[in-house]
Amino acid sequence: MVSAKFEVYRFDPAKDAAPHYDQYSLEMAAHTPVLTALLRIRSEVDPSLTLRYSCRSAICGSCAMQVNSKSRLACETQVGPEMERNGRIVVEPMRNQAVLRDLVVDQEPFWRQYDKIQPHLILDPRHPMPEGKENPMTPAQVERFHETPRCIACAACFSACPAVEADPGFPGPMALAKLYRFVVDPRDQAHQARLLAIQPGGLWTCLRCHLCTEACPKDVRPSERIRDLKEMAIRVQGATENGSRHAVGFKENIRERGVLSEAKLVRQTSGIAGMVGQLGQGVRIYRKKPEILKSPHPIEGLDEVRKIYAALDHPEGDPP
Amino acid sequence: MQRHEVVVVGAGLAGQRAALAAIQAGRDVAVVSKLHPLRSHSGAAQGGINAALGKEDSVDTHIYDTVKGSDYLGDQDAIEFFCREAGPTVVEMEHFGTIFSRGDDGSLARRAFGGAGFPRTIYAADRTGLALLQGLWERLGTERFTLYEEWDLTDLVVRDGRVHGIIAFDRKGGDFEEIAAKSVVLATGPFGRVYGRTTNAHSCTGDGVAVAYAAGAYLKDMEFVQFHPTALLESGILITEGARGEGGILKNAAGERFMSRYAPHVLDLASRDVVSRAIVTEVAEGRGFDGPFGKYVHLELMHLGKEKVMSRLQEIVDYCRNFAGIDPVTEPIPVYPGQHYMMGGIGTDIRGATNIRGLFAAGEGACVSIHGANRLGGNSLLETLVFGKEAGIAAAAHAETAPKPEMHSADLDAVVAPLRAWSNRKDGEDPTALREEMQTTMDRYVGIYRNEADLLEGLKRIRAIKARFPNVHVVDQSHVYNLNLTDALEVGHMLELAETIVVGAYARTESRGAHARTDYPKRDDARWMRHTLAQKTPQGPSLSYSPVTYTRWEPKERVY
Repeated sequence: MVSAKFEVYRFDPAKDAAPHYDQYSLEMAAHTPVLTALLRIRSEVDPSLTLRYSCRSAICGSCAMQVNSKSRLACETQVGPEMERNGRIVVEPMRNQAVLRDLVVDQEPFWRQYDKIQPHLILDPRHPMPEGKENPMTPAQVERFHETPRCIACAACFSACPAVEADPGFPGPMALAKLYRFVVDPRDQAHQARLLAIQPGGLWTCLRCHLCTEACPKDVRPSERIRDLKEMAIRVQGATENGSRHAVGFKENIRERGVLSEAKLVRQTSGIAGMVGQLGQGVRIYRKKPEILKSPHPIEGLDEVRKIYAALDHPEGDPP
Repeated sequence: MQRHEVVVVGAGLAGQRAALAAIQAGRDVAVVSKLHPLRSHSGAAQGGINAALGKEDSVDTHIYDTVKGSDYLGDQDAIEFFCREAGPTVVEMEHFGTIFSRGDDGSLARRAFGGAGFPRTIYAADRTGLALLQGLWERLGTERFTLYEEWDLTDLVVRDGRVHGIIAFDRKGGDFEEIAAKSVVLATGPFGRVYGRTTNAHSCTGDGVAVAYAAGAYLKDMEFVQFHPTALLESGILITEGARGEGGILKNAAGERFMSRYAPHVLDLASRDVVSRAIVTEVAEGRGFDGPFGKYVHLELMHLGKEKVMSRLQEIVDYCRNFAGIDPVTEPIPVYPGQHYMMGGIGTDIRGATNIRGLFAAGEGACVSIHGANRLGGNSLLETLVFGKEAGIAAAAHAETAPKPEMHSADLDAVVAPLRAWSNRKDGEDPTALREEMQTTMDRYVGIYRNEADLLEGLKRIRAIKARFPNVHVVDQSHVYNLNLTDALEVGHMLELAETIVVGAYARTESRGAHARTDYPKRDDARWMRHTLAQKTPQGPSLSYSPVTYTRWEPKERVY
């Protein structure tokens, strides 16, 4: 048994000017889920505590919230380890979505991004589905979905994502993982159009921080699928955005000398016109670090680097 | 007031499929749900969906297995239709975008399930419900309809034997609203939460079943409740039959593999009702374990080895670690049977029609009946889709010719006035306490083994709780997301349904399928080969009976 100390975010727009935290102390087994503890608070202490929940077994995606600052499902977060780690259990609503009441957030921005990626099979009427039969799909084709079919749309990733916070137009990890699921679906007939639409549509806003993958309770690994989308987008379209030009430029830059030529990378990413816009910043960097304009010497073992590039350029079993 | 031609309540697989069918028939459709559709309990289904697609299999074998599984209480015309629709239904879901597991040749993979003559259960890993729910929601998302999300169903408006619409509580907006409709499809799922030990989600409170009952619809075969043998002790979370399929064994406190006494041939893989009864018997005779969360037996996977457990039963490992704090690779899993599935529900015909004009129902909350006294694994997902579609088509057809619904402001006032009183009183009954008492009562007196004395006691207690319900007190005074009000609405619904279960079980003096009476241990076809129909009266449910429909299969003793 542990004495669990909860600090729970409370806000009722009908009567509160600002949110506050209520404290509760309860005795419970160490493996008790935070959700069970919150439901005990509702039935034993305060029935007005408001949260979303349903299945209590990590499959419906209702009870995502922040527990000790991490976005996760309350139903599969145990009280004991949280007490050990933090000495108390701070329960707050998810981030990047407005609070409606207590732990309930307005998921409209999350679903809007989901809708925007056209989350359904797009078919070409010239290639109808087989009449009365399933489309064949090899186990290898099923593998290409990776873990994306496990997504329960709990929005923990959306809550954890700093790019969503910085840019409300960014689709967010869940929508992009869902987009990936359609891009690799052999039944979908708009792969190219989806990839053409997404590169200027915010794909490169992803910071590659992997917080989404850390937050995901179902191991969907959205950041890895976003990486795959970036590769596929460059392949069908070339590098059209600062983000993709930066990625491609980085690769070509290092190929040359085995070490980064920073000044050149700026040109590769932003182009000459873009560099003009960044002139002030460039001058400031030059004053502190004048060697930045010099091309670095090729490194020793450049042959090894070139071998790596050769392997990368002709991988066995091309990725999607 | 909102107006639509067809209102579908519930957005799990049955509700979504009904909505799609009604939209495709050209009707203006609204979907009302207390959860976002992707959070529906359909998504929790693990095992698979049956369709006789294998070369060696046949629709007739599927029909026979279902008839036999039902202990001859299923209507055979409905079962024949159901099994014929299985193949096209699964293929359609594949075309909608569902990601199924595949065989090496690229066809839909199939696995063996209890009570089936051939491997005919199509699956998507151990998350088939989620895969279907995603595929259908993606397809439905391409259509135009109105979604009322996080609305609680409070009432049906029925006048002159005809539906005129529904009344629901908008959690976010904080108010009761009327939605007028020519046709209403109820697809609100089961009511497993009348029990405390259940694999069902918290939201499975039978709201649609209860409002239909209140409006005069017949509830059919409510006494037939399926218990799953291996629910995780404390939480009741389902540990799939696959755990025993992979070689897991059940042991009592003496370390005996007790299933050898109950089913010497198939042992731990006997049918669900047999294994559940065996566990209850072991515990009742003092051979169970005892702990702070009640008595139990062990499900052991340790002998299978870490590699097998981790690769084949990954979800189970997660459940045990995250919800019970144990590691099934090195420790036994404490299990005890838990309520799992409701065979009974709103009585419908094959088209989803009820005894009220304009009212249709589908899914686990409805009873056609195809499952009869006992459902086979893999048939419930199929039922949601086959009969969801039928109900949607029938609701659309009815709406095409039905007169304009008439809703009066008095309808809303009549429903809302008592609910307002719940919030306005200073003191009264706590809805969560009433719920807990109801659940304890159902667990104790209306469980796997039943007898006259227990059922009478259970009925007395349920009625006593029900009598306290009108004095329920909603403490939370906020209008925004008032879950305290939802608690009260739900327990009010469940108390009515619990009563119909007990009354039906008391009256049925035989043992059939999941209904096991120790005082009447034999199936009695001469007296009881008939469906129970419960209709609401001020004194409680009034029972009548209707015949079972037969086509080709004569009743036989059910042995596996």
